[in-house]
Amino acid sequence: MSDLRSSIERAAPRRKKWPWVAGVVAVLLIAASGFTLTRGGGSGDQAAGDGEPVRGGTLQFALIDYQRSPDPQWGTNYAESLIGNNITDKLTWQDPDTGRITPWLARSWEYNKDLTEFTFHLRTDVTFSDGTPFDSAVVKANFDQYVHGDQKLGILPNGATLLPGYVETRTPDRYTAVIRFDKPLASFLQASSFTANAQPGFLSLSTLKLSAEQRTDPTKVIGTGPFVYQSWKPQVSTVLVRRKGYNWSPPALKHKGEAYLDKIVFNTIPEASVRTGSLESGAIDATLDVGTTDEKSLAGQGFQIIHRAVSGTSIFFNFNSRLFPTNDIAVRKAIQLGWNREALRKTVLTDSYSVATSVLGPSVFGYADYSGSVLRYDPEKAEQLLEKAGWTKGPDGIRVKDGKKLVVKLLGINNLVVNKPAYESIQQDLKKIGVDLQLTVVPIPDYTANVAKAKTDWNITAANRSRNDPAVLNLQYSPLLGNGSYLGKDSTGVDVDEVTKTLGRLELTLDPTERRQYAKAAQDLLLDKYALVNPVYNPSQVIAQAKYVHGIVFDAQSRNHFVNAWKSNGR
Amino acid sequence: MLRYLALKAGRALFVVWAAFTLTFVLLFVLPANPVDLLFDPAELNTVTPEVRAQVAESYGFNKPVVLQYLARLGHALTGDFGNSVQSGRSVTATILDVLPSTLVLASGALVLALLVAFAIALVATSTRRPWVRNLVEALPSGAVSVPVFLSGILMLQIFSFQLGWFPAFGDRGVKSLVLPVITLAIPVAGPIAQLLVRSFATEFRSGYVTTSWAKGATRSGIIVRDVFRNAGLPALTIAGITFGNLIAGSVITETVFARQGIGRMTQAAINTLDVPLVQGVVVLVAASFALINLIVDLIYPLLDPRLRAALAVGSPRAA
Repeated sequence: MSDLRSSIERAAPRRKKWPWVAGVVAVLLIAASGFTLTRGGGSGDQAAGDGEPVRGGTLQFALIDYQRSPDPQWGTNYAESLIGNNITDKLTWQDPDTGRITPWLARSWEYNKDLTEFTFHLRTDVTFSDGTPFDSAVVKANFDQYVHGDQKLGILPNGATLLPGYVETRTPDRYTAVIRFDKPLASFLQASSFTANAQPGFLSLSTLKLSAEQRTDPTKVIGTGPFVYQSWKPQVSTVLVRRKGYNWSPPALKHKGEAYLDKIVFNTIPEASVRTGSLESGAIDATLDVGTTDEKSLAGQGFQIIHRAVSGTSIFFNFNSRLFPTNDIAVRKAIQLGWNREALRKTVLTDSYSVATSVLGPSVFGYADYSGSVLRYDPEKAEQLLEKAGWTKGPDGIRVKDGKKLVVKLLGINNLVVNKPAYESIQQDLKKIGVDLQLTVVPIPDYTANVAKAKTDWNITAANRSRNDPAVLNLQYSPLLGNGSYLGKDSTGVDVDEVTKTLGRLELTLDPTERRQYAKAAQDLLLDKYALVNPVYNPSQVIAQAKYVHGIVFDAQSRNHFVNAWKSNGR
Repeated sequence: MLRYLALKAGRALFVVWAAFTLTFVLLFVLPANPVDLLFDPAELNTVTPEVRAQVAESYGFNKPVVLQYLARLGHALTGDFGNSVQSGRSVTATILDVLPSTLVLASGALVLALLVAFAIALVATSTRRPWVRNLVEALPSGAVSVPVFLSGILMLQIFSFQLGWFPAFGDRGVKSLVLPVITLAIPVAGPIAQLLVRSFATEFRSGYVTTSWAKGATRSGIIVRDVFRNAGLPALTIAGITFGNLIAGSVITETVFARQGIGRMTQAAINTLDVPLVQGVVVLVAASFALINLIVDLIYPLLDPRLRAALAVGSPRAA
């Protein structure tokens, strides 16, 4: 059959169309690729010096996350807290450099000796963007809903963990709000300035009446902030426009009047290479979530890198004090001493990050430096400690005691790009002193699911907690609260009461000298005496911006405020 | 015929129910206490039992699992999959919001993929130069083996960052649709083209083609009039696979191009373990999948007379 067919076919005249078509396509392809190669680059707007701020213009900003709801009191990611900060204001502003609490919507405040009652005297000229006034009734309605939630409206108790023991807000007069707790809560003063996840930013009374579902209409979410919602498109972008008549930014920022920018577009771009490519091609003006590997090349192309360490605890290894083998203080101390900080700094971190020198970040009030004492690289001493405690090296180099291997199981989160390489660097160093550190570094939901079982399953949980107040140690480690190292009766060699009391004192005073002492005592206990934690590095938020962008502020929680931001070209 | 119909429809319903039940088991029962997942992991140990209980109650997580299942199934039958744990909006509304952008992207990509696939098959069949045929026949497997992620980034590098012809992210009308559609069409076109190349070749060698040759028809005439009609039909049989490819590809395409859509929403919902939303999406995908297969099963006999004859005789398994 095929013979018959091919003979018929061969008899037909050949038409030579295909070579022509193929030729034309080939020429087009070559031309296109040549065009591609010769163009390119072409970024970098006209650079301008700082000088006087220019009003107007739209800032195209990129980040990895998006707001799942425009409600700023709800949220667990960076986009949510960052955008919330530009829609709402807080009672107080924490100075990012000194950690001091300074006025904002509250002009002044005082508290009782027990630190159970905080009286705030409010500004009288503040209004919401729908024109309604900001007063003590608004403060009360906000805090009540923030702490208790509202089941009928589907509003969760978002503020319950930030304000434990909240009793009520009293309103003796229109511009005085008294917030009461059932036990001393020194950290409340800092909480009143809190700008991170699920923040106490004030919403109008009309917004508070809306259900969670109704709050997904951004134009109905009303705050007092320097910007108001124009649109919210989940997964894609949030657009904010300047609030007309705004005149109450934190005095510490020294900004008068309305925001400089007309508009900010928060573009959600999940892919790192698309964020940097868009910055390079000028499609965006600035981007958050810059990867460690991109910092250098972007800086080389003339983009500015600005960053701030996340205030709170460092990225920590919390030791489980009940579980073999981390119930042995020699093992915990050996791990603190057994890894090379310098190698971590050189191979994994960039200049935007730093090696941890305490469990508190350096920007937190009360921070003390332990890099000269317990938090240093001293493998000989680490090995001595292990030998003395009866851990002898087995044939494979891993130490053994009573027939059991020195295997330490770590549970970590992979949400920060630096985490896994940092842990691997430590893993290699520890192997040399005979400690087998086994890493399980997983996404947040898997981590959360495992943390629930950490008491019995994991020797180390690795994470951090963002809260710019030394009381974060009490929240994280007190056996009555977070109990990060699972202290209990069977934690050998640890006086649990001592830990509870020492950490608890951080909530009992706001006197700077006393507080500094208590913070030092708490760090001594956690790092040195009981060695309950091995701090690793201080995470950072990193922004790359074009040269014509100025004035993006990192606050005390390393969230960004745009009231002061401007573009040289004003476009 | 009626039995054939009932059998196919029943199977489709079973698939949807099974998907619902399986996701319920996987998401609600197995991994962890769903209440834990609603909190910041760093704060998990600090959450008081009262707050935990309040949150559990507001999502119904405090009821026995069987009751939760029955309640959810009952609501699902009326199209109510509860509210997203992450945004508070109803799952149905959340899905309907992003569905149009995915539909536009997917149908654009499907049309382009079909054009490319038919073009490849036509070229491979009609050319008389072996090297052209070999080159063109290698394209489908090439298209399948290039990761969508890579081709997307490459496309962006050239046409967006270098040439500046198209926007790199967001939804800005037709212009921002071009690159994603091409990116998504590539892996979808692969299997279709492969199937078409093979069936074109088979049909091209069959007896009726020889008859046409003998009658003096030209090569292009034969391909367009005889082969095309008969060889195009089998492409329908892999409609299900094509749909799967479109869904899988859209997850990555939508992420790379920062577009709104079902794929990206699914990924986000899984990453944040937004249980009701994941379940809504899984049921939607399963239902579409079942529906597409059902439609193919039902219209195939209409298109292919041989099958109709087989059904009339009463042996549906011949399909």
